[in-house]
Amino acid sequence: MDSSAKISKLGTRMMPYLAILRYDLRTLWASRLVRLWLAATALLTLMLALANWTKFQDAVLIASLLFPYLVFPWFFVVVVLGVNPVSGSQAEALADGILSRPVSRCGYLLAAWSARVLLVWGVYLVVVIPVIALVTLAKRPVPEDAVTVYGIVTALGVVGLVLTFLVSLGFLMGTLLRKPLLAVVVLIFVWYPISLILSIFSLEEFSPISLVQALPTQLRQSWREVEGKSETNVAKEDMNTFTNQFSHFFSVLSGTKPKPKASNPEFFESKKFEDFSLGWVTLGYGLPTLVAVILATLCFYWRDL
Amino acid sequence: MPMRPSMGEELRMELAIRTEHLTKIYSQRLIAVNDMNLEVPQGSVFGLLGPNGAGKTTTLRLLLGLQRPTAGHAEVFGKSCGPNAVGVRSQIGYLPTNPKLPGNLRPIEYLDLLGKLSRLPRQVRKPRISALLRAVGLLTATEQRIQTFSTGMCTRLGLAASLVADPPLLLWDEPTAGLDPTARRFTLDLIRELGKTKTVVVATHILSDIDQICDHIGVMHEGRMIFTGSMQDMKRRLRRSDFRLELEGDAEDIRRLAHEVTSLKGIDAHLGAGQILLVRITDDRSRSRALAEVLKLVDASNLSLQAINSGQNVTENAYLQLLQEDEAHGFQR
Repeated sequence: MDSSAKISKLGTRMMPYLAILRYDLRTLWASRLVRLWLAATALLTLMLALANWTKFQDAVLIASLLFPYLVFPWFFVVVVLGVNPVSGSQAEALADGILSRPVSRCGYLLAAWSARVLLVWGVYLVVVIPVIALVTLAKRPVPEDAVTVYGIVTALGVVGLVLTFLVSLGFLMGTLLRKPLLAVVVLIFVWYPISLILSIFSLEEFSPISLVQALPTQLRQSWREVEGKSETNVAKEDMNTFTNQFSHFFSVLSGTKPKPKASNPEFFESKKFEDFSLGWVTLGYGLPTLVAVILATLCFYWRDL
Repeated sequence: MPMRPSMGEELRMELAIRTEHLTKIYSQRLIAVNDMNLEVPQGSVFGLLGPNGAGKTTTLRLLLGLQRPTAGHAEVFGKSCGPNAVGVRSQIGYLPTNPKLPGNLRPIEYLDLLGKLSRLPRQVRKPRISALLRAVGLLTATEQRIQTFSTGMCTRLGLAASLVADPPLLLWDEPTAGLDPTARRFTLDLIRELGKTKTVVVATHILSDIDQICDHIGVMHEGRMIFTGSMQDMKRRLRRSDFRLELEGDAEDIRRLAHEVTSLKGIDAHLGAGQILLVRITDDRSRSRALAEVLKLVDASNLSLQAINSGQNVTENAYLQLLQEDEAHGFQR
């Protein structure tokens, strides 16, 4: 069999998957939620960049731009996007329109999941990448910072992975609970105290807040450093900056002055994560993502439509 | 040397649909389909008849693999049905009752999406879509989004959608629901036409539709298949012992005639609305002879016979009789 015949056979096999993917992307793009999210995330990212333009070095500023995706408020939008494809009234239309055709349930679910992941990554990168380019290339009245391309790519990758995990979690909950509203409420109650839950199992390293704290270090890492690295070496000033960053973030949002520093910082610093292992984080979020998708597929397979 | 299929296998291959003890119970509470054995011959137009909630839609959804049977199994063209039975669904064109269509798409986009789901290459898909849109009369609505469509237009688009992949089996659930008389006539004609080359299963509770288009019929009641067979078998079940004589003449003469008819052995008669005499042959005597005696009396009277017919719609009578029998034998079930 020649290569063109192979490609055409593959194209025919992939046709339903690509058709659902395109249809889902189009439907998602047409939704008000996605358009509002895109506008809001662009506005907030610009606000954060401008508010901290003269205050933070590159790494800290970039990390602060990624904070809304990991902690608040965009996780909520991402979860809602993940929840709806197989729940509520959507399920009926789905059964009538797509699953009564020669499409396997697994195939459908994978295409719907891919569409949501692609959309979330698209919105996130379309907004963040230009602002990061602006931050790193512009001459700002702050000390020079050693942010690397490798660091930016891996930091963006880690945040993207967390977002993918959130979409998958929404997917699983939407499939399990069937009612979108209930699924969203459950996910909010799971995700907000996630740091506390992870600390119970000594897995604070994976909590979104720990990841945000460790992002400046990651942003400054180069490929060679990673190869030869045995210990982390983080500037303590970064950590001090981050001690106030969360309150600063909310002060930007609300327009009020940041709260004064805590009187005993050591108490908090004992649990701060200055660095993370890329491999562990990838595994820590990648595996649950995979498990969530597999469980959602199994659950959907056994379900009556 | 290739093995010849056995007689049983040959018979099985001639069936479009076969179910064995098919049962669906929802949440251990509601029995939607109850131990159903069904055989639909290839090339037939099969009417799945039953009152609302009889289990018709559930049966179709079980065949499509949208739902999983609680017990028993179903086959379409010899292949088992199930959620991942892609091969089965590629042979089926499904039209749900009042189909829920994606409102943000236009008809061509929607049919194109379905064509891609059926893995049809572009050179087959595109001409077929335009032919189907022309056939269902939606060529002038191709610019409109589906959300602006009326119920009738949605049903017509649903009909086209079920035919995109040109499947050998069509499962149409209430295809005439919500249609105006013209669209209904069009749909029935289409079914009759498609029945020449395909197996068509029409689930409905509209008896006149079944009467016009089906050659085989299955009657469902409370999840059970209480009758399957040809339309002829169905009609034969009913003893047509009621006759309706439309007369012209004096009312007193009609009353006298009724009295004379009642005096005949095994025949009962009473007056209907207007100038109608309802005659019922009450015992096992020959109906033709009894009717001949009645007509002789009419001839001898001062009345003229305008019309004679055998009461209600035959299929409707047979159907109602089946339901009554099933109700009466409830305990034996």
